[in-house]
Amino acid sequence: MDLIETLKTQIIEALNLDGMTPGDIDETQPLFGDEGLGLDSIDALELILLMEKNYGIKLKNPAEGKEIFKSVNTMADYIAKNRTK
Amino acid sequence: MKSVKIYSDGRVILDGRENVFEEKGLSLLEHLYRKEVGDYPKFFKMDVLCKLGFIASELLLKGESDRFTPREDRAVLLFGTCGPLCNDRNYQATVRDYPSPSLFVYTLANIVTGEIAIRNKYKGESSFFILDAKDEDIIKNTIEEAFQDPVTQEAVTGWIDCRSEDDFEAEIELMVK
Repeated sequence: MDLIETLKTQIIEALNLDGMTPGDIDETQPLFGDEGLGLDSIDALELILLMEKNYGIKLKNPAEGKEIFKSVNTMADYIAKNRTK
Repeated sequence: MKSVKIYSDGRVILDGRENVFEEKGLSLLEHLYRKEVGDYPKFFKMDVLCKLGFIASELLLKGESDRFTPREDRAVLLFGTCGPLCNDRNYQATVRDYPSPSLFVYTLANIVTGEIAIRNKYKGESSFFILDAKDEDIIKNTIEEAFQDPVTQEAVTGWIDCRSEDDFEAEIELMVK
């Protein structure tokens, strides 16, 4: 499974998006706000934990999150460049 | 609907009329969500206490003509012995590793009354009272006290207790001053 599909599965699991499958998530759609998955600030914390647990990435500057968590694509891109495991 | 009772063994009683579902425990709540609600994905993020209170209130309030109009005159007053104990256990299990923010936010008993208030745009009193046992006198007195407030005219109120995902009950009603 490629990183994008793996990430979609991990997001569904971490955020308890029961009933949703990786195919339901468009990797280009916004993760936050009304247009996309509609995630909130608590979900953002879960995504930070997801990156730390699964990829060994610790976000030093929380402000970076705004760009990293724009979509599954931007998240996967950041993980690919910064992962330690 | 004036009263709703949901039991983890599959019984759902709406205004005295009993239905028995094949689904039990948490599966019953998820089945009722898909059957009766279906448009509130936040349901899946809730802990089991909130899921129970949310579904019971949805069945109670479904069909109200002016539902979702912001109002201050309807309170949400719920009572139970366990509070969010099931979620507390789940959260405690994550503390040793990576404490889960999404579990942490449900470690307060009054989150369930807040979820119901947010869903229905209620701006009035919202409280969850943890009792040692189901004491009808304490419940009655507490509700009467809430109605002393000149703003509060109605209340979604009742008993909601969740000992585990497989062992719970909700008995709620819409009470008018």
